[in-house]
Amino acid sequence: MPVWQRIYEEINAEIENPNFVLICAAQDVAGEAVAGPIFDAANPTYVQVVDADHIISSAFNFVNVPSAAWVDEEGRIVRIDEGTYSTIHEFGEGEQKISFGNDVYAPALKDWVANGSNSKHVQSAATVAGNFRQHTDDQLKAEAAFRLGNLFRAHGFADQADQYWEMARALNPDSVNFIRQHLTLTEEGSAGETFQQMMGEYISQGKDYYRPLDFEADAE
Amino acid sequence: MAETMMAFPDLRHPFAQTPIHPDGSATVLYQGKTITVAKVGPGPGLLIQPTDLPSINGYEVKPEGACFEDLCVPLNDSILRDIDGQQWFDQTAFADLLGQVYVADEAANVWSFADIPSHRQNTLVDAMAPDFEVTDRQGNVIRMADLKGKKALIVTWSSW
Repeated sequence: MPVWQRIYEEINAEIENPNFVLICAAQDVAGEAVAGPIFDAANPTYVQVVDADHIISSAFNFVNVPSAAWVDEEGRIVRIDEGTYSTIHEFGEGEQKISFGNDVYAPALKDWVANGSNSKHVQSAATVAGNFRQHTDDQLKAEAAFRLGNLFRAHGFADQADQYWEMARALNPDSVNFIRQHLTLTEEGSAGETFQQMMGEYISQGKDYYRPLDFEADAE
Repeated sequence: MAETMMAFPDLRHPFAQTPIHPDGSATVLYQGKTITVAKVGPGPGLLIQPTDLPSINGYEVKPEGACFEDLCVPLNDSILRDIDGQQWFDQTAFADLLGQVYVADEAANVWSFADIPSHRQNTLVDAMAPDFEVTDRQGNVIRMADLKGKKALIVTWSSW
């Protein structure tokens, strides 16, 4: 989150009249208690949302975080559903070192804010429509089940929360959000062996949780 | 790895148990809102008082049907029902009519409705952003429609 604040400040400093709003939505059923301190540490001036029910992911049919949509002044999506990393993140050292993210997203974003519809990174309506995931009735039902689990969790009923989050996962197995959010209820947490195993299966089934990120391919 | 990738593990376990709603009422979940319905009719299904409908999904019962903005859905006797002289609106039958899916925990009397298909932009023919409504940390309501006139990056993240 501090990196997004830096990028937001750079956009406002470097681009004349950027006319730009940044909305960062923390998807977490544990809500303000866990997302708030992370937001606060960034001293953010962008719009901060704690989205316990994953409302934004539902609206845009995202299945993983971080994901994003670029929406122009007319309300039209010009890019969607890519791994929205603000930088390359690195953890650990030596053989334990892991890294993820990229350093190409932020420059492309700045180009769009500066040049609007003239930016080479603006995608056609047809491309955006193709990248927008379609949701079946089962996947819509998964969202209803997920929110039912959230309510039970908020009232301290762990068994029922588990039951409905399990239902959500079964109804929408494409959702990495549901997989990881459910695992936050376990002792192992959301990034342990179970998660690694589930993601191995996910990828082996040929699923993609982001659309391909290839800014270099954008036409000049 | 788990410890470093998921912040605040101690805050994620369920809190002390608290009742979801008073006896005799029901809870409806829709688009991130939690609505307590004080009075419900005898099931099966979720029977609400017609006057409670707007607080659930914005529809309003009028002589021509259940209306939302310019759309009115004609109602039949299976949706607008008379039981012992009291009129009830069968919210679950209405959802079925609209093709709106839901999940219910009838033991707890909680009904969670997914988006109404005709309201949801599931297929982006023209790439127009779908509408949504969330509240920011300062208490401001943010709607997609309110962002028109500006470029917006809407990004999700998580602490897990």
